[in-house]
Amino acid sequence: MAQAGKGKLNYRCPSCFLRELDIDMFFDPDKGEYYCIRCEYTGTEEEVRKANELPRIRYKDMHKRFDFDSMDD
Amino acid sequence: MDKLILNIIHRPEMVPEYAEKVTGHGKAEDLGRKALLTESLDIFKTQQECAHKNGLKTTIQMTYASLFNDEAVSLAKEHHEKYGDEIALTLLGLPCEQFRQKYKTKDFCIWMFSMEDKMAIVDDVFGKFYERFGFYPESTGSYYMDAELINYIKGKYPMVKCAVATCWEEGPKAYHTCNNSWYTFMDGGPWAPWIPSKVNTHAPAANEEEDSGIVAIPHLSRDLIACYDGNGSNFGTHPQNVLRGMIYDSKTWEYPYLYNLIDQYRHLAKYNNGYAYNMMFVGPGWMNKMGRWEAPYELLLKSYEDGCAYYGKLKKEGKLVDMTMAEFADHYRSVKSYTEPECALWRDILYGSDKQLFWYCDPYMRACVNMDQGGAIVDLRPYAAKLEWPVGIGTPHIQDASYPFLIQEKYRAGYFTHYAGEGTIRSAKICWNGEEIDLCLCRTKAHFSQEGKTRRLTLDPVEIVFAGGLTVKVQTVVSFPEGESVIQIERKVLESSDPTAQVTINEYMVGCYGTTEYTEDMSSLTLSLRTGEDVQTLPYEYRCRDLTAPGADEAACVVPPIRTRVSMTAEGADKAGYVKEGYAFSPMFTIGYTGTLREKEGFTTWLKLERAN
Repeated sequence: MAQAGKGKLNYRCPSCFLRELDIDMFFDPDKGEYYCIRCEYTGTEEEVRKANELPRIRYKDMHKRFDFDSMDD
Repeated sequence: MDKLILNIIHRPEMVPEYAEKVTGHGKAEDLGRKALLTESLDIFKTQQECAHKNGLKTTIQMTYASLFNDEAVSLAKEHHEKYGDEIALTLLGLPCEQFRQKYKTKDFCIWMFSMEDKMAIVDDVFGKFYERFGFYPESTGSYYMDAELINYIKGKYPMVKCAVATCWEEGPKAYHTCNNSWYTFMDGGPWAPWIPSKVNTHAPAANEEEDSGIVAIPHLSRDLIACYDGNGSNFGTHPQNVLRGMIYDSKTWEYPYLYNLIDQYRHLAKYNNGYAYNMMFVGPGWMNKMGRWEAPYELLLKSYEDGCAYYGKLKKEGKLVDMTMAEFADHYRSVKSYTEPECALWRDILYGSDKQLFWYCDPYMRACVNMDQGGAIVDLRPYAAKLEWPVGIGTPHIQDASYPFLIQEKYRAGYFTHYAGEGTIRSAKICWNGEEIDLCLCRTKAHFSQEGKTRRLTLDPVEIVFAGGLTVKVQTVVSFPEGESVIQIERKVLESSDPTAQVTINEYMVGCYGTTEYTEDMSSLTLSLRTGEDVQTLPYEYRCRDLTAPGADEAACVVPPIRTRVSMTAEGADKAGYVKEGYAFSPMFTIGYTGTLREKEGFTTWLKLERAN
C-alpha cells in the first residue's frame, strides 16, 4: 500500500469543520477516498462535497443582502 | 455625506505563508524554489491589477524577502509613480533564504522574537529598505506589534506614522481552529484604528503623554459577532477568508455576505460622528494557483476581483475614499481625539438570529453589551490599567499578546447553565416572592444615541413574568460617559401589574481574569466593601465567603496580576453592597448591589475601572 497524498483539491474534513477545525484530509488511492488524520471521517470526493453543504445550514442569511440605511437603531 | 475610508494593502511575499506547504507537499522544504518565487510575484501583480483597474490605490508593504528581488522593487516604484501607491514595509514575510541564513531560526512573527532580535531585525529590514528606495517607510506592521517594538521603531525611525498592529480576536479560537498549532494570541484589542499607548499596544492612548506616535490599524475589518463567537479567519474583509468559512453558494459562487460585511462597516459611521473604516489585506498565499482547500484558483481570483470591484463601485458612487496607510494616519489624527470612543452597534448578518452586540472601545476599556442577554456585559477588558505586558522570547508572555479580560462569556462561561458554579457576566436579577429572573434571559434590541460626550444604549423594555402572578416591564439604559472609565446602567420598572408590589433587584458582576479558557490563580485578589470610612476586606482564599453591607458606598475587587481595580457604586432604594469570594470549582469573584423597586422607580449602578497601585 502506497502512502496517501493530497487530492487535486485540498479538501478539509467536513466533520472537523463543523466543530471549527480546519484539518486537511489526505487521499487514499487504494480505497479511492479521502480520510481525516484527526477524526474518523472518510468519504469520496462526492461525499465530501455534499458534506460541505452542512456547515452552510447555520448561515441562514448567507444569500441575503441587507439594507442598513433602512434599519432603525 | 459619510464616507467609508479604505486601506488596501498588498505585500509581495516571495515565500507566501501557506504556499510553500501547499504547493510543496511531498517535496523537501526549499524557500528558494524558482516556481515559488515566480508565482509569488505573479500573485502580487494580480492583486495590484485588481485594485488599480477599479480606481483604488494601495499600500505596498515590501517584505524583507522582496527587498532582495529587483523586479518587486521596480514594480513598487512604478506603481508609486503611476497610481500613487505608498511604498511601505511589513514585518510579515520575513522567511526567505537570506533571513534563515542570518538569524538561524524559523520564527517569523516579529513580536515573538527576543527584544534583542526584534531590534536587530528591524534595523536590518529598515536598512535594506533604505538601501533599495533611498528613504525610510512611513508605514509598517505585522499581525501584532507589541509596545516595546513600536516604541523602538518610533524612536529610531520617527517618520513611521502608521502600522498594522493587531488582528481582532485572533486568539485561542484561531489556535483551536488550526488543531492547536497557530500561536497568534492577540485577543482583546480594538477592531478599528486607534492610537496605541506606549505601554500596551491594545490599550489606546488617553493623552499625548501616552501616545506611541503611530496610528494603528487592525489586520482586516472583522465581523463583530461571527469573529467573537467563531474562528476569526472566516469572517472578515478578506474575500478568501469568506471562502474559508464556506460562506458562499457552492453552485453560483456568490457571496453577498462579503458585501453585507463591508456595508455594515459603512453603517458604523452612524455611531462614530460620520467616520467609518475598512481594511483589506490579503496575503499572496491566499491566491495560490493550486487553490486553497476546496476553493479552486478561479474562485480565489474571482472573490478578490469582486471584492475590489465592490470597493471601486462604492468609490465611484462617492461613498468611499481610498487612502494609503500614511494618508489615513494623518486623516485619523485630524478627525479623532484621544478620548473619543469607537462604537459599533453590530447586528448579525450571517446566522439569521437578528442578534445585536454593542462594542465600545476607548482608552479605559473595551466592553461588549449583548442585547440577546438583556444588555448584559459579556466581555470587558480594563484598558484603564494600561497593563505592562511585554511579549516575545525572554518575557513572561512569549506568544500571548492578548489584553486580559475581567469578563469573557465564551472563555469563562457567562450566564450560567449548569448546576455548580458561576460564569463571568455583568447583569441583574429581578426577584419577587422567592422567584429570581435574570435579565440575561430577556432578548431585546438597543437604540444608540449620543448626548454631549455620553454614548447611550436604550434597550427596548422587557417583560418579567413571575409564576406567582406579578408582571413587571423593565427598561435598561447603558451609558458610557467619555473619558470617565465608567459604565452606568439604569434599570427602571416602567409598568407593573401590581403598582404596590415591590421587587428586589440584584445588580452583579461575576469576574475573573485571564486571556484563555483556563483559570488563573485568584489567591492575590482582594474584595472589599466600603461604607463611609469603614472598609471590610475579603482576601481571596477559595473559601466561598461573602460580605454584605447595607448602605455600602462601594463594592470592589483588586486584581493584582492585571493591575486592575474594578468597583461598583449604586443609587436606589434600600441599596446594599455585597462581595462574594468563589471556590475551587467556581474560581470567580462577584461584586454587586441589591435594592428595591416599585413601578416608575429606578436603580442605577456605575461600574468603574482603574489601575490598581
